Amino acid sequence: MSAGRPARTGNAGRDGPNAAGGGTAATAGGGHLAGARLWLGRYAALIRAGWLVDVQYRAAIAIWLVLGIAQPVFTLAIWWVVAGEGDVEGFGRADFARYFFAVMLVNQATNAWDVWYIDRWIREGELNFRLARPIDPLHEAIADNLAYKGKTVTLFVLVWAAIAAFWPAVRLPLDPTRLALAVAALVLGAAIRFLTSYANGLLAFWTTRATAIAELHWGLSLFLAGRIAPLSLLPPAVAAVAGVLWFPYMIAFPAEVLTGDVATADALLRGFGWQLFWLAAWTVVYLLVWTRGLRKYGAVGG
Amino acid sequence: MAQWAARARRLLAVLRAFWAVNLAEELQYRANFVASLLGTLFWLGMAVLTAAVFFRQTEALGGWSFWEVVALLGVFNAVAGFVDALLRPNIGRIVEQVREGTMDLVLSKPVDPQFHVSFRRVVVWRASDIVLGLALTAFALTRLGRIPSIGEVAAFAIAFAAALAIVYALWLGLMSLAFWFVAVENLEVLFDAVYEAARFPVGAYPGALRFVFVYLIPIAWITTAPTAVLVGRGAWTVAATAAGVALLGLALTRLFWKAALKRYTSAGG
Repeated sequence: MSAGRPARTGNAGRDGPNAAGGGTAATAGGGHLAGARLWLGRYAALIRAGWLVDVQYRAAIAIWLVLGIAQPVFTLAIWWVVAGEGDVEGFGRADFARYFFAVMLVNQATNAWDVWYIDRWIREGELNFRLARPIDPLHEAIADNLAYKGKTVTLFVLVWAAIAAFWPAVRLPLDPTRLALAVAALVLGAAIRFLTSYANGLLAFWTTRATAIAELHWGLSLFLAGRIAPLSLLPPAVAAVAGVLWFPYMIAFPAEVLTGDVATADALLRGFGWQLFWLAAWTVVYLLVWTRGLRKYGAVGG
Repeated sequence: MAQWAARARRLLAVLRAFWAVNLAEELQYRANFVASLLGTLFWLGMAVLTAAVFFRQTEALGGWSFWEVVALLGVFNAVAGFVDALLRPNIGRIVEQVREGTMDLVLSKPVDPQFHVSFRRVVVWRASDIVLGLALTAFALTRLGRIPSIGEVAAFAIAFAAALAIVYALWLGLMSLAFWFVAVENLEVLFDAVYEAARFPVGAYPGALRFVFVYLIPIAWITTAPTAVLVGRGAWTVAATAAGVALLGLALTRLFWKAALKRYTSAGG
């Protein structure tokens, strides 16, 4: 269904031989410093390539942004009416507004379309020239994310600020500690969601239904990641199950750190702890799927 | 009159030819049917659970009870099935056809181009969405203890057909924009974004949005109106108005499509 679509389609022009960039500098001296400079150069080139491709798809990106906010906006509108002048288990209208604005921002920042790309790379053989490059395709995907989200998240923050100027309900206190914590939670959440999507895409080595699995994952995240309601409004059993899975640490947790709903040292520690755990777990999954998948890919196509 | 009948017969014959080939292709991929069925069941379950989350906190959404909203979700799913079976694989390809110039092939056929771009193929498996969606609606009606009269069923049939026509008009209108904005390859996503709003009766939205969904973007006529007829919230007035909106939508998009087609400069242009 609609909500699980890729963030953008089309990736033409990314296939030039120079996109990986910086690869030839590998022989320029040893040491950590040279290594760091090499990677900075590589990432700069990859991000620039991603940026330039995106510029050609400005209108398409605007449409993806509209899709990204549609479901949270409509959900907020319904909760707004349900809350009325009172509140729902402690959530008043303004609380819902802040929560869903935060969810929209976090969703944008953690958005993961990678499964759609990897699936196509594998099925249509676009992975081949990526394997021939002196750099793991993972880095191209990460750079793509940085290029795209740098723009869209900035835009989102500006729009939020503009709306907040007129609508007090969505104003947040600008507490530096809270913002720093929110950024940290956001980065970890984005990393987890990226790895789930990337590893899911690699399932295309074995099945033609990798993207269908991604849609199921997205559907479950409606509840488990807090996209339909704050987790505290779900049945306690569902919230408890969600709490030990990776879902809420991709969206609900960063959003609630941002709104200040998660503020006690205890809750913060627990949240960040789970984030680190799932980040490690999904890294392991990614490594397993990648090494095994490549072996199978080589066996079939080689 | 006889001329019209002959034309309609000809279009039907063309349609049969289109879909016979198509069906033969699709039937080779029967695993898709199982996958489609499972997907439908999954999303129906998700939709009902979503409604349940709201109904933990409230007795009614826009005055509608839980099972009334579930009946609406069935209609939502059925219309989504129609979109996936017929609109996405046809009208959804207009952008690509304009960009790549393959619209030439459509225009060179001795068939009305709008008919050709609209009904060339059918993804038959998505009929599972239509059947199971309407089955969910029927189940919700039994939970409401409501057996619609023959008249109400007839009114529903009209309102539902009107809903499909309105969705068709929205798609054709939206995708006709491709003739102006050739580079925008994901125009159809705008429909997906707006259609999300059809998961709830329009009465559940704040006043401003309600106005938009009734008068500007006719979301209210897609799911709220047909369901309202079935659950006894106005029968013939709703159905008749829906039919009027549908006819107006079809006529306007026909004009818009013709204007758009004039801009087409062919593969070399």
